[in-house]
Amino acid sequence: MSSLITLQNISKVYGSGNTEVKALWDVNLSINKGDYCSIMGPSGSGKSTAMNVIGCLDRPTHGHYFFDDQDVALLNDDTLAAIRNRKIGFVFQQFHLLPQLSALDNVALPMVYGGIPTAERRQRAANALQQVGLGNRLTNKPSQLSGGQQQRVAIARAIVNRPLLLLADEPTGALDTTTTEEVMKIFDELNRGGITVVMVTHEPAVAKLTKRIVWFRDGEVVNAHMSPDNIGYGTLVE
Amino acid sequence: MPTLQMDFRESLKMAVKTLTASKLRSSLTMLGIIIGNASVISMVGLGEGGRRYISEQIQSLGPNILFIVPGNRETRELGGLEITRNLVLADAEAIAEQVPSVVDVAAENTTPGLINFRNRNANASVIGTNPAFLSVRNFTTDQGRFISELDMQRTSAVAILGNSLAERLFEEQVPLGQSLRINNVTFEVVGVLAVQGSNLGVNYDDAVMIPITTQASRIVGRTSPYGIQVGFISATARDAESLQTAEFQITNLLRLRHGITRPEEDDFFIQNQDTLLTIADTITSALTLMLAAIASISLLVGGIGIMNIMLVSVRERTQEIGLRKAIGASQQDILIQFLIEAIILSAAGGIIGTLLGVGGIGLLSLLTPFESSASISVIVMAVGVSGSIGLFFGVIPARQAAKLDPIVALRSI
Ligand SMILES: Nc1ncnc2c1ncn2[C@@H]1O[C@H](COP(=O)(O)OP(=O)(O)OP(=O)(O)O)[C@@H](O)[C@H]1O
Ligand SMILES: [Mg+2]
Repeated sequence: MSSLITLQNISKVYGSGNTEVKALWDVNLSINKGDYCSIMGPSGSGKSTAMNVIGCLDRPTHGHYFFDDQDVALLNDDTLAAIRNRKIGFVFQQFHLLPQLSALDNVALPMVYGGIPTAERRQRAANALQQVGLGNRLTNKPSQLSGGQQQRVAIARAIVNRPLLLLADEPTGALDTTTTEEVMKIFDELNRGGITVVMVTHEPAVAKLTKRIVWFRDGEVVNAHMSPDNIGYGTLVE
Repeated sequence: MPTLQMDFRESLKMAVKTLTASKLRSSLTMLGIIIGNASVISMVGLGEGGRRYISEQIQSLGPNILFIVPGNRETRELGGLEITRNLVLADAEAIAEQVPSVVDVAAENTTPGLINFRNRNANASVIGTNPAFLSVRNFTTDQGRFISELDMQRTSAVAILGNSLAERLFEEQVPLGQSLRINNVTFEVVGVLAVQGSNLGVNYDDAVMIPITTQASRIVGRTSPYGIQVGFISATARDAESLQTAEFQITNLLRLRHGITRPEEDDFFIQNQDTLLTIADTITSALTLMLAAIASISLLVGGIGIMNIMLVSVRERTQEIGLRKAIGASQQDILIQFLIEAIILSAAGGIIGTLLGVGGIGLLSLLTPFESSASISVIVMAVGVSGSIGLFFGVIPARQAAKLDPIVALRSI
């Protein structure tokens, strides 16, 4: 299988001198197309920083990042914006839906920036909402949806441009057990459909549902190929 | 790869959605521009109305009239208040007799007066003049007669009342034949003028006209060594073509009479309709410009208000901006989005302000004697200017939004 994400000696350093923070330090990581991978580790270990680099939202201080065989360092900001638009979908812990837009318009937003015509946008946004089980909530504003429904709208928005990669930073962090299971079911389906999924989570029960775990500590990858079977309820204590 | 992913119609729809989502804030933001626009349009309308009013009055004097005014053209036109009293009745008579291109000559001298009729008092201008006044100024009497040559010779104590003064003093009674007192001198009312309206700042309706000879001997009580002094002389030329000839001949005659050898020494000057129009135009244009300038300041303040609110809005919407960038918005997309919001706010404010301004002009027309009106060019300009103000003051907030780092923006919860 070919690699979709390749991090080579990636470091991300904030500040300098006394205030220097090594958010990432000499990270080497490769994630293949079709992988379903969770990133775990203590708070402040660099998980979100890694996700930002992988999602082409942030540039590393050192090292090389290849996404879909392109050296990201060589691309300008607008090109990165276009890559995020077409190849990457984001799901955040806080959903980040626009409150003034309906579910349908929220989902259609990435296609607006992708220059897709109105009629096609509506059709595809409705399909995506259907796919996450919200076909009957198209006109609801975010404030008229439950947390789980809002996160599903966010997932629909992330997949509407048929990305190669779905990045989710603690997508179930704000959800209860039942809605967490619903969301994980959707991720599982998407991964079966061929989308590479990378997800940050603190919940072993969630990580167990993925195929592979990458473990971070103090900005470094301490285990890049942990099996979900080895994850237990005591794991986070360390 | 194109940097602007979003088409213009889409941006417009998005901006309208965002702005209508917070109606109160949007309308408050527009308020400054609304007020600015309304005041620019109504002030310019007022100035234009005033200009038209004054030039209509000047034009109503008729094209053949000349005014001979004491003083030097230079000092007078520079706004000097020093007006020498060196035109006399004899000058007016000489013009009438000796200048062939002139038809009629009127002399006018105004003094303040206290008028009593029985127990009623009124303060009014007492205008001493001669019989030719009626024809020169195109006035008519409503009742009775005007001043006659005989009145002039005999310095008769006869008075012709302005229309509203007559009403004020006599109400229902017939004024003709009644006696009234002007500064304690008894006069007989022999005529009432028809309604004239205000004329170049003089309200003849509220004045009393008496023979200028009577005024000199009984009201003023003294004459200069040269004769009876007059405030100004008005003369009608035979026709529009002889206007210049008349002006030339009057100048020569008066210089001769006043012993003037060099033009700089002139102690009088002649104005015709054109020079009056030019003077009035200069003054009213300056006034209009000043009004517009003052009103423009409020437009500027409105623009700054838009910038202020937009800056707050960018700060409040960092998460939205971060999200838009994360899902693929380019810097330009964000820039355009915020610019369009600013332009819509100020252009909409401009249109509303224009409507209010036009309404305000309607109100001003009711409250002032002049017909104010909003010109299309001013409206187009005001809306254009307010749109540009939005563009101008929207640039800083929009650039701030476009430059936001998506990660920082997303994290700000
Ligand atoms: N902009 C920044 N400036 C300075 N330090 C930063 C910045 N962003 C992150 N850091 C630091 O980098 C380190 C890694 O942060 P990161 O957000 O990646 O942790 P995380 O693993 O996602 O933690 P959590 O599980 O709490 O979300 C932390 O020590 C954090 O304080
Ligand atoms: Mg994190």
